[in-house]
Amino acid sequence: MSLLKDFNQGIIAENPVLRLMIGLCPVLAVSNNATNALGMSAAVAFVLICSNWVVAMIRKITPDEIRIPIFIIVISTFVTISDYVMQAFTPELHHALGVFVPLIVVNCIILGRAEAFAYRNPVLNSILDGIGMSMGFALALVSIGVIREVLGAGSVFGIALFNPAVAATVMILPPGAFITIGILMAFLNKMENKVQ
Amino acid sequence: MGKILKLAFILAVFCIISAGSLAFVYMFTQPKIDLNRKIAYDLSVKEVLPQPGKAVSVSPRGYSGPINMLVGVDRLGKLIGIMILNQTETPGLGANVSRPIFLNQFIGKTDKDPIEPKIDIDAITGATISSRAVCSGVKQALEKAREAK
Repeated sequence: MSLLKDFNQGIIAENPVLRLMIGLCPVLAVSNNATNALGMSAAVAFVLICSNWVVAMIRKITPDEIRIPIFIIVISTFVTISDYVMQAFTPELHHALGVFVPLIVVNCIILGRAEAFAYRNPVLNSILDGIGMSMGFALALVSIGVIREVLGAGSVFGIALFNPAVAATVMILPPGAFITIGILMAFLNKMENKVQ
Repeated sequence: MGKILKLAFILAVFCIISAGSLAFVYMFTQPKIDLNRKIAYDLSVKEVLPQPGKAVSVSPRGYSGPINMLVGVDRLGKLIGIMILNQTETPGLGANVSRPIFLNQFIGKTDKDPIEPKIDIDAITGATISSRAVCSGVKQALEKAREAK
């Protein structure tokens, strides 16, 4: 029961972007089209699940005083691995995500989950928490990416839907990200009020 | 003192494990990464040089960073191909400089042409600086190609 809860709390109830409001920097930066959003979600999912797994595994031998530097070493190792693997096998995606891959190191979702969850829970629960949180992050990021790409560029996943000349360019610029995130948060709060 | 040494030792062990695993991944991916870069570069050179000539790479300063571009010039000094390799211009505005409708205007230009927005080039609406940057990059490339001859 608690395993299931650890898994699905990250998806909606504690959605990292729309409820906990952490990791907003990459969300704003790479959600201007759906393809980038999906690629970023995949990279973050890999790093988050692996770092939760390793942190939970080493939590008994990690001294309290130096846990943060150790988390950062674990996280940056996985980020660098995913950077190399993307460069080797999906160079186009790596080209599109550019500087944001190395920046996963400082994505507060990952350090936040290591500190708040994986350091205090067994391996299996931590992996499930990582999967759930990644799915919540992907859900938020891809929804924002799709909305912004449709309204701002008239296409979705690069497939043209209508003439981009009538699209609202502001949606693929930074203000569009803030507007979209705000509306989605309001929508989620409204839904929650209704449930209660 | 003993405590500090112990903590430093543990941290060092973690660093060594991390460095070791990175070296391992690097060993396997590096040849593939180099190959990808070479393929990508060769492909772009081929694209800007449909006929024999010289490919010149230039990086004029755009609105929010350098615009790395590759320009193909034939033996008579005429531009026969142009492509943007890398740019960080504003999406939806300046980033449109990599669209063919803008870039194709440069085909056939030589260093005797003005290559200026409003004179012989239609700039992109809302992206004067990016359009001008590409123009100056083209000029630079044509000059470089002439000097290299």
